[in-house]
Amino acid sequence: MANALQHNEWSGKTDGQPWMQRSLIVMFRVLPLWLPYGVMALVVPFYMIFNRKGYKSMYQFFRKRFGYDPWKSFWKVYANHFRFGQVILDRFCVYAGKKYRFITEGQELMDELETHPEGFVNLSSHVGNYEIAGYSLKPKSKRFNALVYAGETATVMENRQRMLSQNNMSMIPVKEDMSHLFTLNTAIDNGEIVSMPADRIYGSQKAAECMFFGEKARFPLGAFALAAQKNVAMLAVFVMKESYKTYHAYVRVIQCDRDAKIREQMSQLAQNFASNLEEIVKRYPTQWFNYFDFWKQ
Amino acid sequence: MDELIYTLKQQIIEALNLEDMKPEDIDENASLFGEGLGLDSIDALELIVMMEKNYGIKLQDPAKGKEIFKSVAVMADFIAKNRTK
Repeated sequence: MANALQHNEWSGKTDGQPWMQRSLIVMFRVLPLWLPYGVMALVVPFYMIFNRKGYKSMYQFFRKRFGYDPWKSFWKVYANHFRFGQVILDRFCVYAGKKYRFITEGQELMDELETHPEGFVNLSSHVGNYEIAGYSLKPKSKRFNALVYAGETATVMENRQRMLSQNNMSMIPVKEDMSHLFTLNTAIDNGEIVSMPADRIYGSQKAAECMFFGEKARFPLGAFALAAQKNVAMLAVFVMKESYKTYHAYVRVIQCDRDAKIREQMSQLAQNFASNLEEIVKRYPTQWFNYFDFWKQ
Repeated sequence: MDELIYTLKQQIIEALNLEDMKPEDIDENASLFGEGLGLDSIDALELIVMMEKNYGIKLQDPAKGKEIFKSVAVMADFIAKNRTK
C-alpha cells in the first residue's frame, strides 16, 4: 500500500544519494555554472531514455496541451528535462553560495499584505524554481512558513533549513499524524505567511475540479480550504528561469467572492489559481515539472 | 452532555458538508478518522477552525489535537471542559 503522504505518480524527491548531493555543493563553490550545465546537456538524453514514464507524460503534455507535432514535442521534452536539470543545479548552487538575479513582478502585493496584522497563504507549484526565491526574496517583517514534503533527502532538508533560517523562514514537514495542520493554523493565527503547494495531491484526496488547459483537472483542496476557512488573503508566486543567471518572479493575487459559502470560496480560489498557473505555463511551457498525467491525478 | 454531542454532530455535518448524513447516523464513540467516519487531514483542518469559531478553543498542541479528534464523544468532553464561549 502506498504511503498516504506520497503522490500516487511522483515521489517529489530530489534524485541522487546524499553523498552525491553534498559533493555537488562542494564542487559548485569553485566550478563556473556553465560547466555543469554543459555536462547536463549530454546526460539529459540518457535520462529521457531511462525515465520513460516522465518522458511519456511530458511528450503527451506537449502533444495534447500545446498541439505540437511529434518532432517539436520531442525537442520540447528535451528542453524541459534540460530546464529541470538547470533549476535543480541552481538550487545546489545557491546552497554553495552563488547568487542569481531576480526580476520581480508584483512584489508590492506581498509588501502590502505584510503591512496587515493578518497572516496570508502563499501558493507554490511545480513550475520554474519556487524554492530559489525563498533564498533571495526575503519577507520584510512576517515569518514565512513553508509546508514541505517530508520525504526529501537529508542533504536537501539540511541545506533548505540552513538557507531559510537566515531569512526568518521555517519549514513545516507534512506528517502522518496531521501535526502540520496545527502548526499551519497557529502560524496564520499569529499573522505569519504560510506557503503551500497547490498542484499535487498528497495525503488528503479531497480536490477541486478546475478547468485547466481546456479540460478538468484536480487541484488539492488544502491551501484553498485554509484560506477560505480562516478568511485570509492568498497569493500565488511563480518563479521562472529567464536566462543563464536570471529568474523572473510573478506574484499574483488569488481571489474569490468572500460573501459566498465556504465551499464555493474554496472552488473559486482553486479555479483562479488554475487559471493563473495556465497563463504562466503557456508563457514558459518547458518549465512545467509535473512528470505524470496531471489530468488523471 | 447529550445535547452538546448532538449539536456537535450537527456542526460536523455542516462544516464538512456531509449532506446525506443525519446526526443519528454518527456513532459518537466511533473513530472520526480512518475506519470510522473516514475523515482526513482537510476535514481535520475544518474541525480545528470550527472549534475556534463555535467554542473559542484554540488547538495548538499537535499531540493533544490527535487525541481530541478521536471521536465525537471525546471532542464533546474536551469542549465542555475548555470552551470559552
